[in-house]
Amino acid sequence: MKRNTIYTGTALLLLFVFVYFANKHLDSYLLRILNLCAIYTVLGLSMNLINGFTGLFSLGHAGFMAVGAYTTAMLTLPIATKQMNFFLAPLISPLDKIVWPFLPSLLLAGVLAAIVAFLIGAPVLRLKGDYLAIATLGFSEIIRVVFTNTQTVTNGALGLKGIPATTNLWWSFGTAVVTIFIMVSLINSSYGRAFKAIREDEIAAESMGISLFKHKVLSFAIGAFFAGIGGGLLGNLMGTIDPLMFRFFMTYNILLIIVLGGLGSVTGTIISAFIITIAQEFLRFLDEPIIPNIPALPGLRMVVFSILLMLVVLFFRTGLMGTREFSWDKFFGFFKKRPLSNGGAK
Amino acid sequence: MKKLLSLTLVVVMALSLLTGCAQPAPAPSGEPAAPAEEEVIKIGVFEPLTGANAAGGELEMEGIELAHELYPEVLGKKVDLIVVDNKSDKVEAATAAARLVEKEKVVAIIGSWGSSLAMAAGDIVRNAKVPAMGTSCTNPLVTQGNEYYFRVCFIDPFQGVVMSNYAFNGLGAKKAAIVQEVSNDYAVGLAKFFTDNFKKLTGDENSIVAVANYNTGDQDFTAQLTNIKAQNPDVIFAPGNFTESALLIKQARQLGIKTPFIGGDTYETPEFAEIGGDAVEGVVFSTFFATEKPITSESTKFLDAYKAKYPGKEPAAVTALGYDAYLILIKAIEQAGAADSASIHKALLETKDFQGAAGVVSFDENRNAIKSAVIKTIKDGKFTFMDVVEP
Repeated sequence: MKRNTIYTGTALLLLFVFVYFANKHLDSYLLRILNLCAIYTVLGLSMNLINGFTGLFSLGHAGFMAVGAYTTAMLTLPIATKQMNFFLAPLISPLDKIVWPFLPSLLLAGVLAAIVAFLIGAPVLRLKGDYLAIATLGFSEIIRVVFTNTQTVTNGALGLKGIPATTNLWWSFGTAVVTIFIMVSLINSSYGRAFKAIREDEIAAESMGISLFKHKVLSFAIGAFFAGIGGGLLGNLMGTIDPLMFRFFMTYNILLIIVLGGLGSVTGTIISAFIITIAQEFLRFLDEPIIPNIPALPGLRMVVFSILLMLVVLFFRTGLMGTREFSWDKFFGFFKKRPLSNGGAK
Repeated sequence: MKKLLSLTLVVVMALSLLTGCAQPAPAPSGEPAAPAEEEVIKIGVFEPLTGANAAGGELEMEGIELAHELYPEVLGKKVDLIVVDNKSDKVEAATAAARLVEKEKVVAIIGSWGSSLAMAAGDIVRNAKVPAMGTSCTNPLVTQGNEYYFRVCFIDPFQGVVMSNYAFNGLGAKKAAIVQEVSNDYAVGLAKFFTDNFKKLTGDENSIVAVANYNTGDQDFTAQLTNIKAQNPDVIFAPGNFTESALLIKQARQLGIKTPFIGGDTYETPEFAEIGGDAVEGVVFSTFFATEKPITSESTKFLDAYKAKYPGKEPAAVTALGYDAYLILIKAIEQAGAADSASIHKALLETKDFQGAAGVVSFDENRNAIKSAVIKTIKDGKFTFMDVVEP
């Protein structure tokens, strides 16, 4: 156990050194991709908690992200920029004078997203399977439509621009590490075991004395909290947001990450968030004319992901990692011929 | 053995990732930099070639490519177009713009259809000090406070004013109703500036008798229209996406509303006339460009070249705008006599009376094009030129 703590500390230190040097030496394009990798890790983990660990098929993620992104943006926008943005209809009273630092804005963004999730979750989480998916999808659309119509709060369809670009590698990787830590602790706690029990069999879990309502809502709200934080990080990385950014496609992107990585695996989500985000850029050459005299086929690189998803659904039902997790014991056991100590169990 | 192999593979992959990420090493000082690279001027294009806005992106690409074929060289150097797809997605648009700036090292950028996509690139071009030329992004926020973003189209305030002037002077309207696509920044902006100017013209605060909203993708507008019918306006201004607008007008006529409809440049698509059929006859809208009335000598050149390349097809206004966006950059490079971003930016700021295919362009203090608008109507299912409105 102690040995593993030392390894984890070393890995964190290495990450720290990497971020330090990356921040100094990489250009803004690569930094942006790395930032997106970390943000998608946060978003993927938050969705995996709901969909993978608790087995609630929810498609409302874009809505929670919108709540988080708008909260952070509205709180961190400088007053002059707010006035520039709201040229159609003036911003309502308290918001036009408030400017908060990034961290409290981000936390409030998460809290608000969690509150919204609680309000939505309380009635909707009685539903199961496809019905839950449709209901949550509907709610995420409602959030978007509300944001479109509240011109005096969100600037409606015009969107916001000039959001301070606070998100850097420290923020994104820092949040990702904290999220991973919290997720792993949560999943290994009694709550986490209750979540998994609900995923495997609701009736059995309930008869064991697990409160379905409490645990489902808890998982939903915690997932939404991190989705809100991820949305806030994304908004302040982009510098501009609008309601159309949080369409169903945003949820679909994150769903792709967790399905490929493995529903119910933290490790899988992290790996697949990095692979997918980097591959989307790396595969850009497919969009360019590959064979001379044949016009380029834009969108070819997205076909790769569709095929990948199809293959995973057909042949690797559990994704990259299934429900397995990374552990130092397994990592070192992999290179040794002798069997794992106490049979590979923790 | 197998384990050793997999370990080696992992290490190789990790290393290749690292080298892929590392900055290109500077060329050894002994040999001179490759001369081939000196002779190419790279201009980046980011357009939505897939996703929801792909149709618009394709139309603009036609114009940009056409201009590139007609003007493939400047200052004796070849111009290379680097096209990246932004997937109609804001996050992707920002990454695409960063790629153009950092990896491809372009000197200037053209794009994009869709204001929100252009706004996503805003911070990146400003930080990199690379001038960007917007094609048909009409949201005022795109160029505001960003001294590196320009655009060759006029913006919503101007179009709203043009149409309210037409409603007041051309139709003699005293009362107007507005039906806007509330989820569309373009429609909301247009409606706002129409309202402001119409109130000023009529001198009556209550001259806008009804405002109705709908969302992208709505099919049924009966509720909004019944409401408007009761107010009995002289004219209905309905800025929005072409499909919804056509359905809206069709349903209005079915409800017996005979009030004239007016709108913005989004109406100018073949689908609008197709879906609307007889109902959209006589609808009046403002747009950038008319094929019947070439504005400049460049317009004629553009029209001839377009007809030769795409026989049997009418060029869309945004195609002409794409053409202009490329040409204005080429002219700026020519004027500056150098192809670095700073010189191009300086030359663009000084651009005056640029003769483009879609009109004469000068930039105002917010780097928006000041240019004339064209008013068109639909006659026998065809878009017909009515008038030119000077700025």
